[in-house]
Amino acid sequence: MKLDAFLERVYEKNYKKLIFASLGMLVVALIILGINYYSTGSFIEKDVSLKGGISVTIEKENLDEVEISDYLNQKYSDINVRTLTDLSTRKNIGLIIESSGIAEEELKSVLREKIQFDEGQYSAEEYSSAFSESFFRQLIKVLIFAFVLMAIVVAVTFRDFIPSLAVILAAITDLLVTLAVISLAGIKLSSGGIIAFLLVIGYSIDTDILLTTKLLKRKVGTMYERFAQSITTGLTMTITTVVAVLVAFIFSTAPVLKQIFLIIFIALIVDIISTYIGNASILIWHIKNKK
Amino acid sequence: MKIKQLFTTRVIILLFLILISFLAIKPTLNTEGVAIRSVDLNSSAAFAGIVVHKNLQPTDYERILEINSQKINSLEDYSRVIDSGEEKLMITTDRGFYTLLNENIGITVDRPASNNIIRGLELQGGTRALIQPSEKLTEQEYQDLIDTMQNRLDVYGIKQLVIKSASDFEGNKYVIVEIAGATKEEVKELIGKQGKFEAKIGDEVVFNGGDKDITFVCRNDGTCSGIRSCNEVQGGYQCQFEFQIKLSETAAQRQADVTGNLDVNVSEQGYQYLEKPLDLYLDGVLVDSLNIASDLKGKAARDILISGPGIGASQEDALQNANDNMKKLQTVLITGALPASLNIVKMDSISPTLGSTFEKNALTSVLLAILAVAVVIFIRYRNIKIALPMVLISSSEAFLILGFLTLIHYNLDLAAIAGIIAAVGTGVDDQVVIVDETLGKESANWKERYKKAFFIIFAAYLTAVASMIPLWTAGVGLLKGFAIATVAGVTIGVFITRPAFASIIKVLFNE
Repeated sequence: MKLDAFLERVYEKNYKKLIFASLGMLVVALIILGINYYSTGSFIEKDVSLKGGISVTIEKENLDEVEISDYLNQKYSDINVRTLTDLSTRKNIGLIIESSGIAEEELKSVLREKIQFDEGQYSAEEYSSAFSESFFRQLIKVLIFAFVLMAIVVAVTFRDFIPSLAVILAAITDLLVTLAVISLAGIKLSSGGIIAFLLVIGYSIDTDILLTTKLLKRKVGTMYERFAQSITTGLTMTITTVVAVLVAFIFSTAPVLKQIFLIIFIALIVDIISTYIGNASILIWHIKNKK
Repeated sequence: MKIKQLFTTRVIILLFLILISFLAIKPTLNTEGVAIRSVDLNSSAAFAGIVVHKNLQPTDYERILEINSQKINSLEDYSRVIDSGEEKLMITTDRGFYTLLNENIGITVDRPASNNIIRGLELQGGTRALIQPSEKLTEQEYQDLIDTMQNRLDVYGIKQLVIKSASDFEGNKYVIVEIAGATKEEVKELIGKQGKFEAKIGDEVVFNGGDKDITFVCRNDGTCSGIRSCNEVQGGYQCQFEFQIKLSETAAQRQADVTGNLDVNVSEQGYQYLEKPLDLYLDGVLVDSLNIASDLKGKAARDILISGPGIGASQEDALQNANDNMKKLQTVLITGALPASLNIVKMDSISPTLGSTFEKNALTSVLLAILAVAVVIFIRYRNIKIALPMVLISSSEAFLILGFLTLIHYNLDLAAIAGIIAAVGTGVDDQVVIVDETLGKESANWKERYKKAFFIIFAAYLTAVASMIPLWTAGVGLLKGFAIATVAGVTIGVFITRPAFASIIKVLFNE
């Protein structure tokens, strides 16, 4: 069966249900974030770059993450140990230890009791909590600024209330559902992660604008033919980016880059749903209403 | 025959810019020897005529190829030959030949750069401190703060550093100090502390650090500065350092006025001292207390012997500690206090090996990502005439961004690499749209379509640029690299690479 016929069969009867399916995903995300906020006081757990603390990296092959983690957790409550892997050589090349409660010098000497390392293998980042909190506030402002700008551009481009709202709703869905997913995965948001969300805004509206332009502004072919065309083009765009960020996620080592790629990856998957189920259904409903 | 047609104006502009990027980045395979990064004043290298000009590009540093007819291929080779104890060094570089004494050489060397891309701290390793004064400073005080810091690090002997002021959009002002090589502890001690030195008798301050009260500080001269004694104490060793300073006349007079009112005490051993000692404080902490000989009472003595301790578990540690403390105290006495006390709000020290692992893997992942995109594009279109131009154009986009960052001397950091990836990602998306629109059934008038699309493309472009601007200053510009790379990338994309791509596709598919 051709794609346009398939789309017609699915959407013609179910477009209203599909709007609710996409909205339902947003609602679930809101509930998850709400529970987070209720139980911890913030929507998502932040890493030391956004709440203050230290992050120490010891670059030494084959350190035992579990052993070090147990050792440190016996002494301190707020401590987080991760392995640094270099996938191009498939090696465990070191450990990252993060904490918001210990002084760097103290952690260093405690680590020395367990691991032998020299200065060249030791890297440390330290953030004062006042600075990190202000950093976080500023990045959130940047994010809101970018979002509002995007909404204005979308509104000016389409000069039509419902389609503009549908695009903006899809962007909100991408941002919030992704945030909920990474909170469920237990990932702590870093400053790089916020940059990723900035990118998500851009990537998100790309496919929505394409879809809206095809469905509303172009006149050649039936609506479902144009829908099919925009899915073919849009999915190619999304899949190239998904594959690129997935590869980059696997092969990069720097934690900040890894998080950026992971967030874009999740958001793009979410975007496929929010664009072709949520936004598309709203547009079909809008077109049928106008007739 | 078509090949010629491919060179449209747009493609030629793109090729021209690639050439400029190539010249800016200047990849070179010839990286023999070690690069001379700096030469100290009055060192034997300076006397031999070795000069390092300011603002050199990374690949332009003079390279040492041979010393005393031994090939120098690494930093290890270099230190081995220097430490071998030869009296004379005959140095052959890529530009000349020098003979110098192997004493106070004064050269700092580094591995030669293979291109002009300047690596940021995260990639090359080093220490970065973000410092906030604990009180609001005037512009003048702010400048004084930066000058004093610079001076302090210079006097201490730290090279290859950047000190700059920065602010964020919440109105906070900071100083950023970046140092390649120095350890974190040193940086903390040198600039994290105000370095307020006070010499007090009782409660009265007789002199402070800085050139107003202290006209000379003896250092690097064994006759008037050094470690004088080491003793075993409880739990380890303690060494005592000592160095001479010269007071200004007014400071000496102040001391005379204070000591004139003191009584003389006689110690058990029969020495005669004034009743109160000279207490040396650094940032409010007592460093040492010196007894004042009775014959100095009321005298405007200008030569003063400063002393202080160093401790350690072994004698060697104590000696090292005393040496470090002495060097710090000397530095502070020469440069004076900073205009305000400081808070280090963020401090990173990245080891060079971690930095290079990050860099290597980040660049590998960019290449692999482009390759992966090529595979997807090929599967979708099954046409090398589409996949190949796309890969070439996307790679050239990444290369142009790198060239641009190099031209503006921006240090490549992880945020900038993320920006490059983001820009290339957006570029591929737009190319897919171009291909589908031009080759689609619906292709009416291409020019008409392009005009229509132009508004949307341009609006999206302006949004992307505008939304990056606040990132310039947010959090003192820690993510500035991302903003710069993204803005450069989308600009290059909209005005250069995408038009070139569209024209290539048009030529290739125009039967």
